[in-house]
Amino acid sequence: MTAEVLVSARSLGKAYPQVFRPRDRLSALWRLLRGVPDSNATVVLHDVDLEVRRGESLGLIGENGAGKSTLLKLLTGVLTPTTGAVSISGRVGALLELGAGFHPEYSGRDNIAMSAALYGLTAREMRERLAEIIEFADIGHYIDEPVKHYSSGMVVRLGFAVVAALRPDVLITDEVLAVGDESFQKKCVRWMEEYLDGGGTLILVSHSMYHVQKLCRHACWLRHGEVTAYGDVFEVTQKYLAYHEAKLAAPSPRAESAAHGAEFQLLELRLNGQEEDTPLLLESEGTLRVDVGVHSRDGRVPVVVIGIARIDGTPVYGVSTEMDGVQPEAEDANTFRVEVEFPQLCLLPGSYVVKAHPLDSEGVRLFDTIERQLTIRGNSREFGLVRLSHSWKRVATPAGARLRGVSGV
Amino acid sequence: MSALALTSHFVRREIRNRYLGSFSGGLWALIQPLIQLAVYGFVWKYVFRMSAPGGADGPGIVAFLAMGVWPWNAFSESLVRATTAMQDNAALIGKIALPREILVLSSVASSFLLHALGFCVIVIVFRASGTPIQLLGLPLAAFAFVQLFVLALGLALLFSAIQVFVRDLGQTLTQLMPLWMFAGPVLYPRDYLPERFRAWLDLNPFTFYPEYLREALLGYGTTGTPWLVATIVALAVLAIGYTVFRRLSAHFEDFL
Repeated sequence: MTAEVLVSARSLGKAYPQVFRPRDRLSALWRLLRGVPDSNATVVLHDVDLEVRRGESLGLIGENGAGKSTLLKLLTGVLTPTTGAVSISGRVGALLELGAGFHPEYSGRDNIAMSAALYGLTAREMRERLAEIIEFADIGHYIDEPVKHYSSGMVVRLGFAVVAALRPDVLITDEVLAVGDESFQKKCVRWMEEYLDGGGTLILVSHSMYHVQKLCRHACWLRHGEVTAYGDVFEVTQKYLAYHEAKLAAPSPRAESAAHGAEFQLLELRLNGQEEDTPLLLESEGTLRVDVGVHSRDGRVPVVVIGIARIDGTPVYGVSTEMDGVQPEAEDANTFRVEVEFPQLCLLPGSYVVKAHPLDSEGVRLFDTIERQLTIRGNSREFGLVRLSHSWKRVATPAGARLRGVSGV
Repeated sequence: MSALALTSHFVRREIRNRYLGSFSGGLWALIQPLIQLAVYGFVWKYVFRMSAPGGADGPGIVAFLAMGVWPWNAFSESLVRATTAMQDNAALIGKIALPREILVLSSVASSFLLHALGFCVIVIVFRASGTPIQLLGLPLAAFAFVQLFVLALGLALLFSAIQVFVRDLGQTLTQLMPLWMFAGPVLYPRDYLPERFRAWLDLNPFTFYPEYLREALLGYGTTGTPWLVATIVALAVLAIGYTVFRRLSAHFEDFL
């Protein structure tokens, strides 16, 4: 089932001219009039390829300044690309800023008319949908007051109502869900879900992974103006979140010198038999086996602690041999080994660190640390760190339940 | 089709914006040139004590001046306003993809709409008060306004595009407009100039319009610039303005 391509971008790039002095503007003007390309420009977007088919939904994610808004502006035609081309077919509803084009002196009603004209609605369509717009905006008598008296939330309501009435083939929107009160946000999300169910096509920029995962099937992660990951929404958002977690976590290299010659020293830490320093990939609900080897200088039996933390350092779980009343097995006079298994590991998808420490026989002093990264994959949309076992009571099947919501479980 | 609807929206909005909150509303568009006319007429008659063009057989000083003041106001106001159209609408341009020519077009169109309306009113007043207005000249005058609109639109497109890059243009233009007016036969007939300067007026693309209107409506004087030349100049200016605008408009966002 391949639907028609509504939005496509080929090797799209954007570079902004460097303009500091008034003289630069003059030389830029002269250069542009002659049609000479700018050699000295700041590249903000480089070689982006996108394709969105009818009925698809794409989330654009990335840090501030990654080029998301620039890409959006290129897609909507507000900006002209420096390289490459964009082609869009169908009616585009671009919602780069709610209330763009509203005039503060005019009433809401007047602004609806103007806004609708800007989006390309004919006067007849406008009249037919006016009641619908006013009802969706739901701002009461304010509709006949000048927009300058509106709260920012009301401007947002009115702006979204116009776009909702537009019934666009492609909806391109930037962080709209972040504004407006709770009930209006819900209304927007519900509208978008209905829009998507009705075969609508969506390109959404959001910093909320929750919204991106809820509304989009594909995601594109932009970093420094380039596509870092593009594909299934869960894979991309998890990579993105893992990247952020890793960025937040303070690097803690193993203090070799301190451990050297100490009473207890870690020899190795294996996750599912893998000793390399690359992160272990594990499916959610998979089994994790941790092997630890400890060198004991004086031949005393160590206590071994195994801990799991999220990659930003938030502890998830920790346990020691002493707590469970077991001892590592002696391999020879100075070497001890222990192995622990976590069947059906209930960690939620994301990146984690597995840590091991040897403690002295009394379980008091901590000697050494080795960390290994662990990445859990899966399509879960649950929040938090772990899946707590649960069962729903008193439930009914909601009308028009979304298939996607079920498939994750 | 939708571009046309959008333009009419912008024109309506522009006209409303101008008179929003003023007591007289759109009447101001008529009152302001009337005051201008009164001042110029007074200065002519009582300060400079110059004889009316054409003498006793001429159309009278007020009618003579009116044929220059209204087209000039439409022309100069539309240029000054439209030159900053991109800057004034920067917020809109950055958020909504729309053909940017529309912003210039609606700015020029609204100025012309108001002043053409004022001109119609004043012509009716003249006719009613006994000034001989040649009815056959009316369609010619209407077409001259269309030509003037084409000329103004071409220049406005050119200026508004350059203004994005060179911000001094708008300021300079405001200062230059009076100079431009006196460089054309707006407030005086061509034959008041010394012989050797008369031909210079033809270098001013605006010269054609007051002379043509006076000839067509008042039967006064002759038009120096041939009609065909004026038309070609207007169309050529529009073509140049549009070309430059199209070439530069892709980069407006980077410089606004």
